[in-house]
Amino acid sequence: MLIRDDLDSALRTAWARIGQPGTWWNAADRVAIAAEARHAMGCPLCAARKKALSPALVAGDHASLGALPDAALHAIHRIRTDAGRLGESWFRQIIDAGLSEDQYVELVGVVSVVTAVDSFDFAAGLPVRPLPAAQASAPSLRRPRNAGPGPGWVSAMMPDARTEADPDFFGSERGTAHIHLALSLVPNSAIQFWDMLETMYQTSAMMRDFTRDYRAISHPQIELVAARVAALNQCLY
Amino acid sequence: MDGATDTGVPHWAELVALVDATVARDGAAAAEARRALVAAMGEAAMIDAAAVIGGFDGITKVADATGIPLEPGKADASAEWRESLGIDRFTAQKT
Repeated sequence: MLIRDDLDSALRTAWARIGQPGTWWNAADRVAIAAEARHAMGCPLCAARKKALSPALVAGDHASLGALPDAALHAIHRIRTDAGRLGESWFRQIIDAGLSEDQYVELVGVVSVVTAVDSFDFAAGLPVRPLPAAQASAPSLRRPRNAGPGPGWVSAMMPDARTEADPDFFGSERGTAHIHLALSLVPNSAIQFWDMLETMYQTSAMMRDFTRDYRAISHPQIELVAARVAALNQCLY
Repeated sequence: MDGATDTGVPHWAELVALVDATVARDGAAAAEARRALVAAMGEAAMIDAAAVIGGFDGITKVADATGIPLEPGKADASAEWRESLGIDRFTAQKT
């Protein structure tokens, strides 16, 4: 099967980064988050909650691999299986249960990369790729100095608030659209996700350039596919 | 967007079939959708469709798990068709 080189490289890089130490989680934790995200797809409690009028109506325990704190477990399972119905009160419960805002944002990044890569492989008919080996090293534990309130539930770093010490997520192409700010509290997580996403989809510049097609499917076909995925996931944004 | 209405986009049915099978994790339906899409548009198109599917399955998690709202300009511009398509009901289902 012929996969364009930039796409193959971006997916391999994103996958390998899961096994590298993060900002708030070490590499073993990040691989455990990835494993739990996959495991959530077969969780009977998540399946029952997904079918329920409200997930809060169904009590029980998640089928867990047991490697992570409960707050992380609950977050991973809901994000992976029913993200479209997440509300701020749920998020506050996760934070009150002991996950820091920074840990949460990095966790969201890992779950989102796993979701993207696994869904690509499934759609393309490729085998499930093995999880990366975890590298031994400590997380950096560094929050952007000028992080402030974000557009959603979590804090964010605006482009003009970045210091030299902060990884350069924004570059020249990424701006203040809310989706760009969503993971910016943990810049390396934002970089990991967006470097991959822009190769799977398009960069902002490609998206707005209707003079040509950059992929083997056209602009309207890309947006049809994207909109259908968003609708099935009940994603308003 | 119900997946059954002709959108006017070339090969929409083949593309939507692969989306639906992937989100549902229906292996048999995905295999059939891939065959149909490759026959209609070629393998490179199927791969790029799969890439958009994966990318948006991921980015919806980023958006929903961080609670970001639509930007005010987009919210104003899309208010009418969001209501007509029933998209606003997604907000009411959040817990």
